[in-house]
Amino acid sequence: MANSSMPSAGPRPAKVRCTGTWLQRHGLGDGPPTPLLTTRLAVRRRARLLGSVLLAALYIAAALVQATDRLTTAAFGGLWPRRATLVLVLSVLIIGLVLARTLLDAWVRRVDRQAGAALARRVAHPVQLGWRILLGWRYAVLVAGTFAGAFALGVSALAVGEGTARYAAVVLLVAVAGVGLGAALQLRELLARPVVAEDEVSLTADVIMRIEDARDSTAPSMFLGLPVVLLLGSAPGWWNAAALGFMVLGLAAVIAVEARAPSCAATARQVVGVG
Amino acid sequence: MIVIDAGSPVPPFEQLRAQLARQIHDRTLAVGSRLPTIRRLAADLGLAINTVGRAYRELEEAGLIETRGRAGSFVSAAGEEARERARQAAADYAAVVASVGIDETEALCIVEAALRSGDAAASASF
Repeated sequence: MANSSMPSAGPRPAKVRCTGTWLQRHGLGDGPPTPLLTTRLAVRRRARLLGSVLLAALYIAAALVQATDRLTTAAFGGLWPRRATLVLVLSVLIIGLVLARTLLDAWVRRVDRQAGAALARRVAHPVQLGWRILLGWRYAVLVAGTFAGAFALGVSALAVGEGTARYAAVVLLVAVAGVGLGAALQLRELLARPVVAEDEVSLTADVIMRIEDARDSTAPSMFLGLPVVLLLGSAPGWWNAAALGFMVLGLAAVIAVEARAPSCAATARQVVGVG
Repeated sequence: MIVIDAGSPVPPFEQLRAQLARQIHDRTLAVGSRLPTIRRLAADLGLAINTVGRAYRELEEAGLIETRGRAGSFVSAAGEEARERARQAAADYAAVVASVGIDETEALCIVEAALRSGDAAASASF
């Protein structure tokens, strides 16, 4: 199994330990942390970490842009002429985040492909997995609901807001549409992505990773956070209250769905037909 | 689960065909189950499209799967119907055996003999 993703010297002990922990957590503790699983899980861990850092950077940058707008607007007596530039900066940040996430996904895909090409024994499912299996109906309803809520908040801010709020509402609508489209494309790609497995344990792990990837790429955090990050303070008071309420309710719904939905491991075992 | 071993002396298309046929016979794959597309399964198993296509073609010729145009390939009901016919014939035979008063041991011997002669006839025809 020697290739660029799985060096002949073998994965580092720390990565192997992480893989062992992951397998234990998903009830696959009887399977060894093979180089295939270690490589695939390591790249996902890095991609998720980078994705989270990028999202945090977007929130911080958006907050800085808003703060700059407030300060300069106050300094110019409400007539600061560079608002359009700030909105452009916000748009570029969001497009950059979506692009960066696409590149991270491509990285994960490439490592998976290299790992699969190095296997002498390949295992697959005799039936096709659908989006209902990957996402589950509860999670699909949650994502659709948060998307619709964020979009409705953007439309309402566009309808009633003025000045900066209108600009920010346009940015919000573009961002929500862009993130939604990106998530749909990502889900489509996940369904088409080839299985990379060499035995029953790695096949179950492949389904778990697929479900985790699907839930990660459609995570409603952007839909819940963007209205507040982009518009809080510049929109009317009732809108601010509605955006905060949406975020709190959304978070409660995420917690409820996480608690009630079957675990990734349980779904994967059902798909693969293991005990 | 389908396993393809590149180191096996059995050709990959035969490994695939035999495993799918077994899963259809033992009902791991139920009648009406949709199979992955040829392209998809080829990508999953690291095989050429023609290899998977050949396995599917042979399963189709054996009546185990059917292709419904763009909808894809599905496990056929033909195998299930054949089993049902065999079950029906066995029930009819049991009724005849009971009506003429043949005991169970002798009835089973008659069936075994019939099966053996069927095997011999099948071997002779090849």
